[in-house]
Amino acid sequence: MLLAFGNFTADPSVNLQLLIGGLALGAIYAVVALGFVLVYKSTDVLNLAHGEFLMLGAYFALTFLISENLNFFLGVFVLLLVMLVFGLLVHYGIMRRMVGQGFFAIVLITLGIATIIRALLLIFYGPTERARLDLLPQGSFEVGGATVRYVDLIIFGVVAACVLLFFLFFKYTRLGLHMRAVADDIEAAAAMGIDPDKVYAMTWAAAMVMAGVGGLLFGHVTGAIDRSIEAIGLRAFPAAVVGGLTSLGGSIVGGLVVGVIEQFANGHLGTKWREPVAFSVMFVVLLVRPTGLWGRKDLERV
Amino acid sequence: MTAVENPASQQEDSPTYRPSPVQRFLPFAIAAVVPFILGSTTENVNFWWKALITVVVLAVVARMAWVWTPRGELTHREDMRLWRTPSDRSWAAVTTFGLLVLPFILASDFTPPMDFPWATWFAVVNLVLIFAMGAAAFNLLVGYSGQISLAHVAFLALGSIVGGIVGVQWSGGNMWVALPAAALAGAVVGAISGLPALRLKHLYLLLATFGFHFVMMLVWREYLQEYFGFVGIRFKGENSPRIASWLHWLPGIDPDDNGEFIITGQFRWYWVLMPITVLSILFMVNVVRTREGRAFAAVRDRDVSASLLGINVARSKLLAFALSSAVVSMSGVLASFYIGSRGEDSFNVQTVLNYAIIIVVGGFSSIQGAIFGSAFFWFLPEWFKWAREELWIVRDIDFLSDYPSEIDLAIKGFLVVIILMFKPDGLAGLWKDVKGWIGRSLARRGP
Repeated sequence: MLLAFGNFTADPSVNLQLLIGGLALGAIYAVVALGFVLVYKSTDVLNLAHGEFLMLGAYFALTFLISENLNFFLGVFVLLLVMLVFGLLVHYGIMRRMVGQGFFAIVLITLGIATIIRALLLIFYGPTERARLDLLPQGSFEVGGATVRYVDLIIFGVVAACVLLFFLFFKYTRLGLHMRAVADDIEAAAAMGIDPDKVYAMTWAAAMVMAGVGGLLFGHVTGAIDRSIEAIGLRAFPAAVVGGLTSLGGSIVGGLVVGVIEQFANGHLGTKWREPVAFSVMFVVLLVRPTGLWGRKDLERV
Repeated sequence: MTAVENPASQQEDSPTYRPSPVQRFLPFAIAAVVPFILGSTTENVNFWWKALITVVVLAVVARMAWVWTPRGELTHREDMRLWRTPSDRSWAAVTTFGLLVLPFILASDFTPPMDFPWATWFAVVNLVLIFAMGAAAFNLLVGYSGQISLAHVAFLALGSIVGGIVGVQWSGGNMWVALPAAALAGAVVGAISGLPALRLKHLYLLLATFGFHFVMMLVWREYLQEYFGFVGIRFKGENSPRIASWLHWLPGIDPDDNGEFIITGQFRWYWVLMPITVLSILFMVNVVRTREGRAFAAVRDRDVSASLLGINVARSKLLAFALSSAVVSMSGVLASFYIGSRGEDSFNVQTVLNYAIIIVVGGFSSIQGAIFGSAFFWFLPEWFKWAREELWIVRDIDFLSDYPSEIDLAIKGFLVVIILMFKPDGLAGLWKDVKGWIGRSLARRGP
């Protein structure tokens, strides 16, 4: 048979382990998806470079926290600050000129940015893989025969906190209001005295900071830090789509759903089924409900 | 009105001027003499005399072509011609001439100045031919028809699968059966992969086709493991493609020592790849000129309006997918047989990015751009390698020789960003600008 199926098992502890692993993976997806959603929500740009942003974050975490051996909180602060500066650089250097260009041109320019980041990281850090980060508590405990790592719980907490933070930010701060206004209608917002340029710059900075957080967290659970971790950016797409590309809360739900489905496909069908199953789920969601579970629906005028 | 003495005054008098077929043909007939002048080996004709005669002949040809240009309003028929202007026609002639002469130059042991590496360039030229075909089909779908798809590499993999089944497993290296089979399979699977396009657009279509990419990668890996194991498919050795038996009578086609007509070596491959690439690119250029091709553009610009004009939007979209995928699958077969082996990691996300780089650098939504782009993509590493080793100041910079492939990658990335920011129509647009600038400056100084 061309497509060999793996063994199905009904052992509850195996399934529980898969569920927990899926939730942990889903939390990572949620971090990445949150970065996509932030950018897409307010600038309408599909950022294919987010995986590379995350890789940048992971490598900077290596530099500041391991090589420079800074205090954890100071190191994280420096990391996020550097990422923020890079975000502003991306906007003022490149994306600012692309406002109003065609959709695919902007997608391609993010691919260009991704290529640059990958090449520069290879030049400055070399192709050798580094050990993963070990700054967060490394232990684990058992629940019903399944192991739960502390790191996964921390990731989960951080994601939830980030979503809550962004939610409050969008709802209650002035800049958040501006961001929502620009996302709704850039011309009307500009006519009301909002500077879309600044709003976009803040969005890119926020996405980069989010990628810094993601890189720091993902650096703790990945096998090793090398150039292959950029793939997480593409693998998180189903999560972002299932949740809805314009919904912050959707990214966390989508991340968990896709993470669990992927982990079950991994456990029961085999590793090679992971990506096809996740992307098939995305495909079905796209066909049935293109805006995802909670996405914003756009009307089309002729 | 008195009778006209020469065409030049005729074209000023009448609002429309049409040269006779003989007048259109004559400059090219004269230009055809040039290769013979250059190739003549008479001892007593000096190189500079040859050059002088060539320049004079070409000047006369240019003048004739300029004077006998159709002027005034073009009829629809004239407007839709493949090569509309004398400039187009002369470029077509120059390109044909170049394509015919190029392999002989590359195969000769002529050493260019400063140790330019011609030997490796032959392989690069062949790769450019394969990639130009695939990239042009990509451009037809993404740039011209506006159906954003990232399933491009999936069809290269499909080409390898069909090449593996039909070309290797069934026929032991018969590429000529595998090519049409791949075109057929590509068209059918392409139409299926285009089904989401009926419902989705832009971003969502991009994501859906990317999902198709992963599904196809699964099929590819499963196929490999089922029949070939981890070593991958070998398209060389006993599976090498052979020259079709009805072509054996052609001059210059001689059997190897064991009586077989195996396609090996860059020179033979060039003569296989060049006609296929040229024909498929001409095919795509012609598709753009037909009713269906214009329907593609109408659907790209506004599909609702296109349907109001009586275009079957669903049919048009699926046709665009099917056409593009068929050509891409064929280029996948060619690439498999040319490169000689295909393994598990032959297709990855980086390959998708490479094609994106090619069409951006070459020029988005122009088929000409695909050719420029793939030429640039494959020649850049060669130029860079040459510059690192030979160029007088660059060769002393250690940093460049320490990270050759990474710096290539960085250059490509920066180029994509810079081109998209400042020159969105890429090298093809640049070429058009240069031609326009030359034409304008000639017109200003001319009579």
